[in-house]
Amino acid sequence: MSLDSKPISSDKKPLYEASTQFINWRYSVEQLARIRASLNEAAVSAIRHTFESDEPGSSSNVLFLNSVEEQLLVKLYITKITQLCALFRFPEEVEATAVTYLKRFYLKNTVMDWHPKNVMLTALFLATKTTNNPISLETYTTHIPKTVASDILDLEFLVAQSLGFEFAVWHAHRALWGIWLDIQNLPDNSSSVSPDIYDSALKHVRASRLTDAELIYTPSQIAFAAMALAAPELASAWSHLKIAPKDSELLFPSFQDLTDAIKALIISDGQPPNIESVREVDRRLRLCKNPEKVPGTKAYLAKKAEEEKKAEGRRNKKAAISQQAMTDGDPFGNDLSKAQSALVDYDDDDDDD
Amino acid sequence: MDAVEKANTERQQRWVKDQKVGEGTYAVVYRGREASTGRKVAIKKIKVGQFKDGLDMSAIREVKYLRELRHQNVIELLDVFSSKTNLNLVLEFLESELEVIIKDRNLVFLPADIKSWMAMMFRGLEFCHRNFVLHRDLKPNNLLIASDGQLKIADFGLARDFADPGYKMTCQVITRWYRPPELLYGSRYYSSAVDIWSVGCIFAELMLRIPYLPGESDMDQLKTIFRALGTPTEDDWPGHTKLPDYVPVGSFPKTPLRDLFTAASADALNLLNKCFIYEPRKRISARDALHHPYFFALPYPTHPSKLPKCTTQLSARPLEEMDGNVQMNSTGPGVKANNNRLKRKLSSPLDEGKGRSIARRLDFTKISPGT
Repeated sequence: MSLDSKPISSDKKPLYEASTQFINWRYSVEQLARIRASLNEAAVSAIRHTFESDEPGSSSNVLFLNSVEEQLLVKLYITKITQLCALFRFPEEVEATAVTYLKRFYLKNTVMDWHPKNVMLTALFLATKTTNNPISLETYTTHIPKTVASDILDLEFLVAQSLGFEFAVWHAHRALWGIWLDIQNLPDNSSSVSPDIYDSALKHVRASRLTDAELIYTPSQIAFAAMALAAPELASAWSHLKIAPKDSELLFPSFQDLTDAIKALIISDGQPPNIESVREVDRRLRLCKNPEKVPGTKAYLAKKAEEEKKAEGRRNKKAAISQQAMTDGDPFGNDLSKAQSALVDYDDDDDDD
Repeated sequence: MDAVEKANTERQQRWVKDQKVGEGTYAVVYRGREASTGRKVAIKKIKVGQFKDGLDMSAIREVKYLRELRHQNVIELLDVFSSKTNLNLVLEFLESELEVIIKDRNLVFLPADIKSWMAMMFRGLEFCHRNFVLHRDLKPNNLLIASDGQLKIADFGLARDFADPGYKMTCQVITRWYRPPELLYGSRYYSSAVDIWSVGCIFAELMLRIPYLPGESDMDQLKTIFRALGTPTEDDWPGHTKLPDYVPVGSFPKTPLRDLFTAASADALNLLNKCFIYEPRKRISARDALHHPYFFALPYPTHPSKLPKCTTQLSARPLEEMDGNVQMNSTGPGVKANNNRLKRKLSSPLDEGKGRSIARRLDFTKISPGT
């Protein structure tokens, strides 16, 4: 399915451009840096506040993570997805989707609030379902050490919300497969295309998953860059066939720049992170993670108590409303204005299950 | 509160639930509205807490595809939010469904009305297929009708992407009466042609006003099909005797559609015939159907706003699709309802029972294409 490799001269909008990925999940390099920096900043100040209200002065010695360090940790857990997918023998689609989910999650959250270990496990489990490769949660957790069902289920809504419930992902490896099918049909080199070329290009696509490429470029752009790394001449022959001559003059300089940028990104960022430096980050994370999210701590208990208090308040209010309805109301229901206010009580909707 | 949770709460507050209009084992449907505009919506609340594997597959499929698909003839998913252990889908509010209209004996259908519904059905389906989505559960009660008369394909709980060539899919899909013979014969490699067969059945039902091929069991379904359309020969459908669940069910002659569809135009019957071609690769595509002479001949399709409308408002849409998709021990369509009429219900506990274990076996042994 070479969805992305449609000739650009077509006047219909490509299907990809109607996707949630195209509309909601593309960024510039600068935007990515800005989003991550501001998430990091907000988390640091909130956690610092929690520390201080627990014990004044206690945050001054804490060395919080910066956004680059956060990314390093996320990258490590991307490599864990690959390992788990090999263990379960999941198809490539599952792996690629889980990696995308993990990256998108950390464009809405920080590792100081949510440790990537559990988020990764939940993202992968969710990806098995969204790609139509479901396995039971029991099978899943029994094959992963020190993991129970609630580790996954507790975060499933949070992950799904962070993804905006947009589960469909367009992948570079699919685009590469399309390009590869096309290349085998190129005139002049029918017999000479070695399957090694595809394998080599696929390795580059896989390396690109460790980078921000998919948040910046389209799947077909990444796939083309991977093919250009593996077999520059074939890639260029293919692109000349795909891009009509009249467009090529207009497009080629920027097309070349784009491809070069992706190639450079894959080469520079496409390796697993250095384990020692990640270990250091993780060690520090233990000291600076949000105590409100760590069961048992004072801050956690305080937050739970506060939530419970709020919920009780709502329950009391609701009880009072129904009490009033019994005493002063028409037995067939209150007047409309009162009924309306009860309808906007959002806790209501969960009482009927 | 986390930014993500906060965003979710804000989404939740955009919508107001007014009245429960239907309830199933796993979901409740409310009529509601958008708080700021008063626009009517339907809110489908799925109780996720009951599933031991978290978000269930039919909810995930529905959200995944409806998030991506925007088309006049596909139901619009306006929003998704969670509340405690529930998932809420905010869908555009649709007044009626085709099944109710078909059954309403007060309504008279003109050939132009049927043509209009068929055009809208094929447009919506062509859009799904163009986006590489198989619906896999087309039937009159999954075709909803908006107040302006537009037909909308709904319930994507069984939908999936086209598989790559060589990848198996489950054959336990599509409600039996609308299920094509290749699925009844256990084919695990199939295409958009399965949806076209369903559309053919619906086309026939619009003309007859009763289900065209109401089999009482999977075996009887094949017999019912062959009695109506003739037993396929090796010429009609090369290789069908090699399908996994092939069984000879007797030899029936082909009777011309004209004998049953006495009032239909030649174009209509020609299109209907093309939806019922046994060889799936030769069955007409949604795209070609839209270019069929039927749609260009007189009478032209009725304007959607002028189509026959239900005399009674749809009050409680049954949630059988939820039950059918997720229940482990669902009883299936062979069961007779109290009034001794067959119920339209998905027959197979898809993916949860047999289907799922098969799917798992597949996934774990398959290697990626090209390697």
